[in-house]
Amino acid sequence: MSKGKSSLLQGAGWPMGCQRLSRTTSRGSNQNRMNHQHWLDELAHYLRAQSSRQPIAPPPPELVAGLFQRQLELNEPAKTWLAQQDLLSTPVRSLTDLPAIPVSAFKWLELTTVPAADRIAVFHSSGTTQQMPSRHYHSRETLEIYQLALEIWFRHCLLATAPGDAGRLDSPTLISLTPTAAEAPHSSLAHMIQRLNERAGHKATSSFHGRVEADGWRLDLPAAHQALRRAEAAGRPTVVLGTAFNFVHLLEGWAEPKDFVRLPPGSRVMETGGYKGRSREIPKPELHRQIAERLGISANLVISEYGMSELSSQAYDADLSATPPISARIGSRRFRFPPWCAVTIVSPETRRAVPVGEPGLLQIADLANVASVLAIQTEDLAVQHADGFELLGRATAAEARGCSLLPLEPRYRSHA
Amino acid sequence: MNLPARFLADLPPEATLSAEMITSACQALRRNHARTLGQLSTEQAAGLIAETAKQWLREDYPFRRLAVAFGPEETGYSPEVLQHGLDVFFREWTMEHLHALLLQDLGVAQRLDGFGAVEAEQRMRQSSLVTAPELLVHICAGNLPVPAMTSMLLGLLIRSAQFVKCASNHCFFPRLLAHSLVDTEPSVAAALELAAWPGGSTALEEALFANSDAVTATGSDEALQAIQRRLPGRVRFVGYGHRVSFGYITREALGGFGRAEILEKAATDIIAWDQNGCLSPHLFYVENGGLVSVEQFAEELAATLARREASHPRGRITIEESTTITLKRDFYSVRAAAMQETRLWPSADSTAWTVVFEADPQFQLSCLNRFVYVKPVSDLAEALRSADAVRGKVSTVGLATVSHRQGELATQLARWGVTRVCPLGRMQQPPLTWRHDGRPSLGELVTWTNLESS
Repeated sequence: MSKGKSSLLQGAGWPMGCQRLSRTTSRGSNQNRMNHQHWLDELAHYLRAQSSRQPIAPPPPELVAGLFQRQLELNEPAKTWLAQQDLLSTPVRSLTDLPAIPVSAFKWLELTTVPAADRIAVFHSSGTTQQMPSRHYHSRETLEIYQLALEIWFRHCLLATAPGDAGRLDSPTLISLTPTAAEAPHSSLAHMIQRLNERAGHKATSSFHGRVEADGWRLDLPAAHQALRRAEAAGRPTVVLGTAFNFVHLLEGWAEPKDFVRLPPGSRVMETGGYKGRSREIPKPELHRQIAERLGISANLVISEYGMSELSSQAYDADLSATPPISARIGSRRFRFPPWCAVTIVSPETRRAVPVGEPGLLQIADLANVASVLAIQTEDLAVQHADGFELLGRATAAEARGCSLLPLEPRYRSHA
Repeated sequence: MNLPARFLADLPPEATLSAEMITSACQALRRNHARTLGQLSTEQAAGLIAETAKQWLREDYPFRRLAVAFGPEETGYSPEVLQHGLDVFFREWTMEHLHALLLQDLGVAQRLDGFGAVEAEQRMRQSSLVTAPELLVHICAGNLPVPAMTSMLLGLLIRSAQFVKCASNHCFFPRLLAHSLVDTEPSVAAALELAAWPGGSTALEEALFANSDAVTATGSDEALQAIQRRLPGRVRFVGYGHRVSFGYITREALGGFGRAEILEKAATDIIAWDQNGCLSPHLFYVENGGLVSVEQFAEELAATLARREASHPRGRITIEESTTITLKRDFYSVRAAAMQETRLWPSADSTAWTVVFEADPQFQLSCLNRFVYVKPVSDLAEALRSADAVRGKVSTVGLATVSHRQGELATQLARWGVTRVCPLGRMQQPPLTWRHDGRPSLGELVTWTNLESS
């Protein structure tokens, strides 16, 4: 694979004969490399075209097929597993055809399309007790795709005009409760927020307030409070970002109503992930109500994110660019991935898709996930509704019906 | 299911229980005890039990028909698994076996009826009598029917008045058994009560505990400790915590024609109650060096389970249970792709059965519902070293070996802490005289009075 400043950065247009290229049977490694590069370029081109597009267009089928072919050729462990499971017999023509690989495979297999020499970043799943974290390697190019994808959907869902806003949030203050990417180099969440900070945040007023300590992330509470106070006074719309446990830490240092802030109109919150045993567990609706109350923002702008280190795109439970805009609903959250992703809910019994409204295991196809595999099977139970999917929670080892000991394996929450 | 409203558990689901109702039910049990069960001899009580059990073995017995008709919906087990489980259970409760249990635990079968003495006591010029608790309470967990039904029948044998507290929605079999006993002997009804409520309903449980003489309970160690802490000091507590079991197959047993039989027996142990009991095997340790490799044995076990699925299908499980199996399978299929030492045989298009072969002998807890590990070892010592994490928690080891090795293996297992060693294929078929978790079932319930003659 070519390194350095690639054509991806130049936003190459659709070349002639891309379909022919995708089906070429050429064995020449140069030819293959050119193909692989070609589909990455096409993906970058497609994504770039969506950043100013409303609504976002679904990816062309040949791009899906081409990137899957690329995955098969570059990701040998994934191909072997898929072949063993007999998941390669159906041709891939659309996002929902992409065969899913369990997230647990990121722990045990070198599940990557990125050659060792090209790896510039690795994201690990986080967790409390796991011995072996999952590993998601990135090259310069796949990282750029990741950054492109995350920024487009974040802007689309969170920064468009919400009901009651004065206008688009063109350059909001971003207050992150996480550490910086430099401090937490293996956290995809820290990386994501860092990127948003650089690209979408107001330079002079945006800040990070997480610290990495031996036992996990800590919040620098006085500094975070101070930043929120400054934001309140400055009047610029603010986006506060963090994990659920970050927010619990924030709220716990804030008992007195006189300490609450009223962030400027148009401010939002992005909350993600689980508690991971790092804080008290407050039921999510209650957490979101408290966040809205203490930050003085509208409850329907407390937006949840669903993402993981094994993916490159995220889902949000609001889409402020939609017509009409969709706001977050506390207690009844519906998540949506961008159109270059597809969600399939499968029966854990048969692994076949279940009808809308029925619970099952959540599978996600993510065309931006070119560094590893284009579709994964999560460990989350979910229900698909007309307006998005609802998370039912991590499939924890069920209690045995009889009297045997519980079969528990350390589970992990993969984002952050 | 239409049963007459005799017990609190027969009330419609919308009926709410109060502490006063529990207290008055307990008081009624005590009042009625003397004129009903208290009048029976041990032999009469045993006769009542044996007669009821005999009825249950008849396919046209109305209560069995109810069990088969409504049991799958109520408990999730398939009709075939339920019928097999009921046959195995009720077959044990014969006069002969009851007599053997009384002799084993009390030395003299009539010890509950009057003073008696075995030879050693006679030599010491003494005799003794045992007294049962007047009001015996059972706290039952889960929907595996056997532990609750066993507790009820043992309580009846010693003629205690009994209050059976089931977990919510798990009262189906205790209710059917109670009604069938009343059908055999109507006076039983006056000294038996059943109710269901969610665990942790403190007010109801306080009332129940305050009125009891002895309490039995099954559940997690934490649940048992929580119950024990809340009992008045004078109340005897008999707790049965969670246990695990496994199978052990020696190399000699794998030879020749015997192998097919061993595979069937291993499958029988997995299939019984869909592997949900303390006595169900989580894994099979198989000795290396037999006629076939341990890996081949695992593959053949998978084929056997596939066949037995047709005759004794796995029951309905929850989406969480099904997901747990699917995620475990994913985990092992990925491991199998990454390393030679792991192999996986899953049922197709369902989670009905799963066999995992792992060269690593480390004991693994199964997620149950017919998910089993097969692991090779060089000898029993290696297996026991690998199972150190569950030492002290192992109930049963199902053993397949040749007769001359049995004694040595059983001794090794006993010294390590296993409380029951049985032939493979009978793990879920403990005899009535089984000492539950290594303690005498009847002996734990009674109190002795010694009489020393002048």
